[in-house]
Amino acid sequence: MNAVLAVQAAEKAAEAATNPVIPAVHEMFWGAISFFALWILMRYVCLPPLMRVRAQRDLQVQADREAAAAAEEQAEQVRRDYDATLGEARTEAVRIIEEARAAAEHERGQVVQAAESEVAVERQAAMAELETARAAALEQIKGDVADLAVSAASKVVQSDLDLAANRATVDDYVNRSGGQR
Amino acid sequence: MTGLLSAIEPVTRAASEGGGGLQFPPIENLVLWPAWFAEGTIFEFNKITFISVFATVVTVILFFIVGRKAKLVPTGLQNLMETSVDFVEKQVIGAAIGPDGMRYLPMLLSMFFFIFITNLFEVIPTSHMPGNARMANPLVLALLALVMYVGVGVKHNGLGYFKAALFPPGVPAALYILVTPIELLSTFIIRPFSLAVRLFANMLAGHILLVTFSVLTITLVAGPLLLKPVALVSFPMLVAFTGFEFMVSFLQAFIFALLTAVYIGGALHPHH
Amino acid sequence: MSALTYLAEAAVDPKAQQNIAAASGAGIAYGLAAIGPALGIGYLVGQAVQAIARQPESAGQVQTTMFLGIAFTEALALIGFVVFILLKFV
Repeated sequence: MNAVLAVQAAEKAAEAATNPVIPAVHEMFWGAISFFALWILMRYVCLPPLMRVRAQRDLQVQADREAAAAAEEQAEQVRRDYDATLGEARTEAVRIIEEARAAAEHERGQVVQAAESEVAVERQAAMAELETARAAALEQIKGDVADLAVSAASKVVQSDLDLAANRATVDDYVNRSGGQR
Repeated sequence: MTGLLSAIEPVTRAASEGGGGLQFPPIENLVLWPAWFAEGTIFEFNKITFISVFATVVTVILFFIVGRKAKLVPTGLQNLMETSVDFVEKQVIGAAIGPDGMRYLPMLLSMFFFIFITNLFEVIPTSHMPGNARMANPLVLALLALVMYVGVGVKHNGLGYFKAALFPPGVPAALYILVTPIELLSTFIIRPFSLAVRLFANMLAGHILLVTFSVLTITLVAGPLLLKPVALVSFPMLVAFTGFEFMVSFLQAFIFALLTAVYIGGALHPHH
Repeated sequence: MSALTYLAEAAVDPKAQQNIAAASGAGIAYGLAAIGPALGIGYLVGQAVQAIARQPESAGQVQTTMFLGIAFTEALALIGFVVFILLKFV
């Protein structure tokens, strides 16, 4: 069976005498036609739109990139402006606070001064009053002491002393002791 | 389904008749296809020529759909096509020629798509025939590459291109007796030949590999009970090789375009 | 029909003898043709991996060059494969 098949195949091969390596002319013909058609269509019809779109896209990408750079630049500018404004505002705020503080300080100083002067006036008035009261008391005491001393001395000497004459002595003494105080 | 059954019928019959052996189909059954029309003339149309035409039509339609309403922000299909254009531009032209090779983009892109789609038929179900497993397409493309790089060399360097190609500078004069024939052979004959053979042989080998594993799996399944479990090994191998051949399809298209670009680049700047 | 009978038949048939010679020649030719590129591609990819490991940032360029090198090396094996096809099927 095998031998028959093999011999048949060999005979068939010899009949056809086909060499699988030798190209067939009609296949070359159709292959060449197809390939050249493809080449020409590719060159003039298929590829140009694709390349155009790609070039367009490259341009678009370029433009977008530039726009992005510009936007970034702008943002940077805005940020710088904002920073500047912020700094200004901050110094302004500091200035206002400083002013307020100074004003407050001034106010306080004034209030304190007014209070102090008022207190001083009051104290002076009080002192003056006190002084007056003391002087009055001293005056009174001086009179009383002179009277007392004169009457005590008259008791001691058993005679009426001249009140008026001795008053000068007592006064002098009191004045001296009061001056020592 | 009946088509598939009739296709594997000789193999299953041979196995079930107790032949016992592996009936590998003769090579004519693998790569020769009956004519659809115009048999015997130069216009003869068969599966291979259909694949070639189909590759062109599909590529053009894909690009046309994308190009007709190409958007600035690509989506879906446009992404795919732009990625492939970028791939050819960066990995093929950028690596092999440089920025001044952009004018060869349409040709290299066409080459890449044409070869990739014709190769892809190797793994597309119901087709399973790489268009490049016949010598015709690779030969056409390789001859085109030859014409291209010689043309580019002559255009940019005049007859100095042949001088630079045949009498490479820096070689002692006496050695030209040896070097010039070698360079002549390698530049103008072996280059296009190896370009064509590389693509053709890769795809044919992949095709035969897939056929071998398919035949093996079918024979094992239809064969004696004892051998049936072995198909559990051979079938996953078939699947794995199908994936591998998908990768090879892509790689061969890439390498063909890359080598063409390298040759064009060499003709463009002969002193590098 | 056993393989032995087939071989015995084939031994006397010059056409079959030629087929046998061609088939074994094809196998040997492809086997020999695959040795060199196998070593070459192994070495090439190994070096490429080393290069990428040393300089991961140049991986793209190394890969492209690697594919180029593989393509050139592989051509030899593929020519061997074509010889195999020619011997076996023609």
